Amino acid sequence: MARNRTFLLVAPALIVMALLPLGVGGYILGLLTVAYYTAVFAMSWDLLFGFAGEVNFGPSFLIGVGAYVAALLNHYWGWPIPACLACGAVAAVIGGAVLAVPALRLSGPYFGLITLVAVLMLQNIIVLNAGITGGEIGIDIPDVLSIDETTNYFYAFGFMVVSGGILFGLSRSPVGLILQASGQDAIEAAALGFNVAKHKLTAFCISAFFSGLAGGMLIFYMGTASVGTVVDIAVGVNVIIAAVLGGRRTILGAAVGSIFLIGANEVLRPLGQLATFVVSAVALVVILFFPGGFLGNYLHTGGRE
Amino acid sequence: MLALQILIDGFAISSLYALGATGFTLIFGVSGVLNLSHGAIMVVAAVIAWAVAGNFGTGPYIGALAGVAASLVCAFVTYRVIVRPIQDSRAIPREEKEIFVLTGTLLWGIMLQEAIAYFFTNNPKTVRPLVEGVVMIAGVRTPWNEILTAGLSWAVIGLLWALVNRTRMGKRLLAASMNPRGLTLLGFEMSSIYLLVWMIYGVLAGIAGVLLGAFLGVSSDNAGTLTASAFSIVVLGGLGSVSGSLIAAYVVGYLETMTAYLVSPSIRTIPVLLLLVAVVYVRPQGLLGRR
Amino acid sequence: MRLSLRNILLGGVFGIAAAAAPAQAADPIKIATIAETSAISGVGIPNGAKLAAEEINAAGGVNGRMIEIIEYDDHNSAADGVRAFQRAAQQDKVHAVIASYVSEVVLALEPWAGRLKMPMITPGAASNDITKRVHDDYDHMKYVFHGYLASTQIADAVCEGAKKLLVTDLHMKTAVVMSEDAAWTIPLDAEYLKCLPEIGIKVLDHIRLSPDTTDFTPIFNKIEGIKPDVIITGISHVGVQPTVQWQQQQVPIPMYGVSSQATNSTFWKDTNGATEGVIFNMVSAPDVAVTAKTIPFAKNYQKKYGNLPGYAAYTSYDDVYMWAEAIKKAGSTDPDKMVEAMERTDHVGTIGRITFLPKGDTFAHGMRIGEGYITGLMVQWQKGNPVTVWPPAAATGKMTFPSFIKLPQ
Repeated sequence: MARNRTFLLVAPALIVMALLPLGVGGYILGLLTVAYYTAVFAMSWDLLFGFAGEVNFGPSFLIGVGAYVAALLNHYWGWPIPACLACGAVAAVIGGAVLAVPALRLSGPYFGLITLVAVLMLQNIIVLNAGITGGEIGIDIPDVLSIDETTNYFYAFGFMVVSGGILFGLSRSPVGLILQASGQDAIEAAALGFNVAKHKLTAFCISAFFSGLAGGMLIFYMGTASVGTVVDIAVGVNVIIAAVLGGRRTILGAAVGSIFLIGANEVLRPLGQLATFVVSAVALVVILFFPGGFLGNYLHTGGRE
Repeated sequence: MLALQILIDGFAISSLYALGATGFTLIFGVSGVLNLSHGAIMVVAAVIAWAVAGNFGTGPYIGALAGVAASLVCAFVTYRVIVRPIQDSRAIPREEKEIFVLTGTLLWGIMLQEAIAYFFTNNPKTVRPLVEGVVMIAGVRTPWNEILTAGLSWAVIGLLWALVNRTRMGKRLLAASMNPRGLTLLGFEMSSIYLLVWMIYGVLAGIAGVLLGAFLGVSSDNAGTLTASAFSIVVLGGLGSVSGSLIAAYVVGYLETMTAYLVSPSIRTIPVLLLLVAVVYVRPQGLLGRR
Repeated sequence: MRLSLRNILLGGVFGIAAAAAPAQAADPIKIATIAETSAISGVGIPNGAKLAAEEINAAGGVNGRMIEIIEYDDHNSAADGVRAFQRAAQQDKVHAVIASYVSEVVLALEPWAGRLKMPMITPGAASNDITKRVHDDYDHMKYVFHGYLASTQIADAVCEGAKKLLVTDLHMKTAVVMSEDAAWTIPLDAEYLKCLPEIGIKVLDHIRLSPDTTDFTPIFNKIEGIKPDVIITGISHVGVQPTVQWQQQQVPIPMYGVSSQATNSTFWKDTNGATEGVIFNMVSAPDVAVTAKTIPFAKNYQKKYGNLPGYAAYTSYDDVYMWAEAIKKAGSTDPDKMVEAMERTDHVGTIGRITFLPKGDTFAHGMRIGEGYITGLMVQWQKGNPVTVWPPAAATGKMTFPSFIKLPQ
């Protein structure tokens, strides 16, 4: 039942998205390119929160590590893009594991705080080593994926579909169910014989892998990596808002939320500075009155709740 | 000489941290809410105080009052419009209320911050200090405003202590933080206690914001940092423990000041972050936290 | 929504213009401004540009075409900046861009200017890398012009002023350099450390502070312990806070150098007057006839927007004129021709005589500085007003300091 509904929702949306370059201008495509990478950030975050029950306040730590490792390799040694991306993703997983192994013993706000501190530390390291990292000005990247908007669009689209598919599949697999059980009642899950810590760590590493990879892809699209783009707490906040807005514990909702957020900011651009205010207000209203988010009610009615 | 300087400067900034974090931890202790719009509310108080004192020429006292009043209003709205509806909501499962309160207050904080930036720009502002001039304390030239900041912070914290320990209302409050269920069984209305805590919080955050604005100056861009700093201090001290937060505020204040004096001002926040990580790993309940 | 409304209105205007001059009533020339509009220095960029466009349009436009300014807000973020730039180039089809006073944003946009062949100038960013990239990769990056001084050039201007103000007039011999730890201050500090000794000021210490610093007490106390004659500043992200704390603590040492926030006309109010006596570098000041255009511009700006222009408003105003002239000279809006015409710019603007350095120069497409071109000013806050104290030809007053400052005897 739920599976059918998901399919009914996703299939037409994907077809429309794939055909979009035929109908809209380069600018809209550029906008969606950023939205699709953000969608991967949000989906990775949702895997960790929605399923493992861990509130990661610092998604931009994982994104930033992936992005900066890729950027530095390309800037100083001119490594080809795929190699940079791979190293970035691996670095994000390593960074994530170093953070997660001790942090996962903690719960609730403590875990949240540690992930927040990780972002601040990363930001400090980058700014203090301005000579190498370019500091707050950022570092430019000689190679970009492509300068053609349509090509970039399909890179981002393909990447989002594949990552989304894997993350979604994972969330519906037995592993996802165990994660969900551990997230809701870790003690009971452990009593049933599941190694909760191991599963959560796995979830964290998977989340780190996709976050880091998407961070790398994003900077190779933009041609620059800077604290404001991939590390700042505000970046992470946007990811969290997108995921909650779209409907947590749905994975796909996170993608919808991201596209909505970036689209809304654009539609409201004539408001100038007030755009952020209005977007936040809309998100607040959704959270207060439709806590399931955009997709929550739709996907869940057939399922658990 | 240097030691004395560190002692005096560290004291002022620590007192301000203490005041800022007290309201934050009080709310957590009584109602289990981490209010992520905390920094934004402090900024509102400071900027309103600056605007009223400067634009209407009312002088620093009326300005400061207006700032605290603005903070009170914000705190009330935070509770009535965001926190309470989420807590009462049937649609949100209980174990997820926390993330909803966090996200909700975070969004509200962003709204406040953007509104301030829109009406007053994000340029930093300084509230005109209540007193000007400097005084020599054992050879260290200290601004009167710095002494006043420390003094007022402690006066307010002292008043709060008296309120909690010496009045009937305060005892109810204390009981609520220890055992909300028990209090409900005794027939007390929890919602009125919550409202009271939020009002106290509004006043505390407002005073802290105005003092901060007069002592260091604030910009709407500082909202996030202020929240993060209160959050860190409160976790360091033990969530919900007011005395723990006070001690933690001094640890943070002095550690920062010492780093700036003895090592380098460019890394002043880093030792605090490291300490925080260490404490959370080794003793997650914080210095004085109870579990 | 607003855009389409504006198009309708403009359409009406052009309808009338078309009746008057049927041959020339072509599409408007679109110039984009990308800036953080919630900051006072940022909002000066679109405001200054709009003022210039109005004047040019009132005088008949460029080859009969009107200039239209399209504003974008980058929220001080490179990502938003890139997005705005792409929109400007690909959707709104602008002909030139005036972009940001934040180096991070400008450096992020620079490759895009090359990729999308979009002529661009920055009215306020100071990174040396902006022109270095043009020099290193001219063929791709030639679309970028630097309409503000690079960090090294700013340090040179500060030293040049210090030679007269600090060494000759005040007999100062020692200094501490106080800069925020940021990428833009690396070349600035390097040049400070090189040029200050050359004019006879010994640098006793070099302090870099975190741009997040809010409590400057320890820093000022440390500096006071070193007993320099002057504090040479390199600050931009911070400004109000160190100034207020300097005054509240009554640090007896004057502050002199770069303090970007001090260039805002609201700085006096933001600091409650604590900035009395602070000397800072600026390209233009509202009270100085740097050129014949400076004072009328500042007056008109104040009349229209209610406050005095910040530093990027002057340059942004000049930039619109320079693009207009380049388009006129090139006879088209073809980007390569515009760049080629822009390189031949010799424009007397509000900040001085502007010419661009050739592609072989280290500061390729940067402004030529020095006597007869751009010199920069040293300005001091005095009783609520910025008063120019250097160069002597432009000075409108003498230096004065608050009573807590102790000058060398």
